[in-house]
Amino acid sequence: MDETRQRLTNCFQTVFPDLPEAEIATASTSTISAWDSVAAITLMNVMEDEFGFEMDLDDLADLDSFDKIYSYLQKRLQVA
Amino acid sequence: MTITEALRITQRAPRDARPLAVTLACGFTPLHVQTFLAAHLQKALPDRKVTIALGLYGSLAATLESLPDAAPPDALAIALEWPDLDPRLDYRSAGSWGLAAASDIVSSARVMLDRIAAALARIPSGPRVALSLPTLALPPLFHTPGWQASEPELALQSAVFQFAADVARGGRIAVINPQRLAEASSAAARHDLKSDLYIGLPFTTEHADKLASQLALALVPPSPKKGIISDLDDTLWDGIVGEVGPDAVTWDLTSHSHQHGLYQKLLGSLADAGTLIGIASKNDPAVVAKAFERKDLLLRPQQVFPIEVHWNAKSGSVARILETWNIAADSVIFVDDSPMELAEVAAAHPGIECVLFPKNDHKAFLAMLWHLRDRCGKERVSKDDALRLESIRQGAAFREQASAGAAPETFLQQIGASVTFDFSAAGEPRVLELVNKTNQFNLNGRRYAQADWQKLVSDESAVLAAVRYEDKFGPLGTIAAVAGQLNGAKTLAIEAWVMSCRAFARRIEHQTLKMLFDTTGVSAIEFRFTPTEKNGPLREFFATFLGEEPQSEFRLTRQQFEAKCPPLYHEVREMRRAEAHG
Repeated sequence: MDETRQRLTNCFQTVFPDLPEAEIATASTSTISAWDSVAAITLMNVMEDEFGFEMDLDDLADLDSFDKIYSYLQKRLQVA
Repeated sequence: MTITEALRITQRAPRDARPLAVTLACGFTPLHVQTFLAAHLQKALPDRKVTIALGLYGSLAATLESLPDAAPPDALAIALEWPDLDPRLDYRSAGSWGLAAASDIVSSARVMLDRIAAALARIPSGPRVALSLPTLALPPLFHTPGWQASEPELALQSAVFQFAADVARGGRIAVINPQRLAEASSAAARHDLKSDLYIGLPFTTEHADKLASQLALALVPPSPKKGIISDLDDTLWDGIVGEVGPDAVTWDLTSHSHQHGLYQKLLGSLADAGTLIGIASKNDPAVVAKAFERKDLLLRPQQVFPIEVHWNAKSGSVARILETWNIAADSVIFVDDSPMELAEVAAAHPGIECVLFPKNDHKAFLAMLWHLRDRCGKERVSKDDALRLESIRQGAAFREQASAGAAPETFLQQIGASVTFDFSAAGEPRVLELVNKTNQFNLNGRRYAQADWQKLVSDESAVLAAVRYEDKFGPLGTIAAVAGQLNGAKTLAIEAWVMSCRAFARRIEHQTLKMLFDTTGVSAIEFRFTPTEKNGPLREFFATFLGEEPQSEFRLTRQQFEAKCPPLYHEVREMRRAEAHG
């Protein structure tokens, strides 16, 4: 597992402590009932803490799965 | 604190711990305030499991009005913002901004503040309540340029402060100090308009954290320190009294030494509220005595006891002062301008808080004044606080006469002691304060939230007595409390029993046991005892009846008590409800 994926997994574990690690990579708003709008904002803040950059609320609606967030992070980290 | 840290703190809470149910009442999306409030409370109470229940979105008043009377939360945090007073003050509202709106907003805000005040007045006495006043700026809806406050803005501010002063009266509701919050969270860095408009959360993450930390402090305040021991030269006054003489040490504006005067004034105001003030100084006692005769001292000499002045180590002075006060080092602050003296005292008295008097740094000096006030400040001042120093002074006289004068029995017979048991003191703040801060004579060290205490003492089978004591040396005030439950006619279970260390050696604890047996008629008392690091005096007391110190919960029969109880010479008075309320 690359470093970004591992750090993102840690973020998911912080926000969804009851989610088994094996299910994190396939997680999405449609598979995790606890992933509501409140959890989405919390996840965004935890990712900001972890990766050290600010995220835009406008991006939030599209970031509805682990995969999409991972891709988003890769792009942001490349730009940085 | 970051969101990540906050989440981890709350997730580390012990799953089986006793819950602390907190309701967060606010009109906006509470998200981050909720997360941070839970984390700050969890940090303050690591052995509890904090849960935060939320109110109704958009209606703070309705949230307060709908709190259940029968099962209120343990604590209530209220984060008031301008939109709670009138929706037109909400950036998310489509309501118009204009001249007519401005004056109408003031009227409707006053009505809403009255409604909130009425809802607060109906909350039962159990839960602890913390209230923050609006923390965000008013929107630019008024007619004046931003640098000039308009009359409606001032009227709104005035109405809010009047409301706060009204609800804070009596000390039931802790209002967050806007001045302190502004130091931690600058006004310009509080509002996140995008977050406000998109998701209804108006606060930046940083502001949510700062506000939540102040609310948590107000809900679970740290125990205040009980005493300050201060140095004299270059601390209480400017100059070395042994060198320049008693008339030449200064604390005034002309001499540019007024910070020492401010320090004296702060010590004096803390002493008025019951903080003990003692002196530890390496000096000539006769010279210091002369200095204390000066009429312009801002700390009155009668506010200080004891005064330890000699040339020996200050750690010895501190030890004797602690012994006189009968409190532990961790309840005390030692202030000195010498780092070496601070280090010497710190090494000899682990737990004591040592504070450097920053003589030539006015910014650090002001921070020190605030620090002393924070560490010693109290929510309310009782009659017992005013009595404390005098009773310690009398206690010293008591011990002196007891050890030097007549035989102990004769001495106790002759001091004219009276003990009053007040059975109607369940709602007295002093009783819970005593239970939560007493260490040495404490049955189990258990600390109670106000709601838990109310549950214990308001039960139908509850027995509670506050104990007051007086003798020829003067009154000690309310110095003990005992609470438990009657289980049928045969057994009494004591859940809490504390007695101030100021009251030791007067057989008040024996008289209390006798009262419990006599008034309840039980043949045995069960004690919910737990050994703690500090409750040795209580263990030793029970060892006189049991033959050995208790290790866990135990039972004491009337027979065991009567076989070992020494003669009691107190005049005993009992106060029941009708008498207590006149």
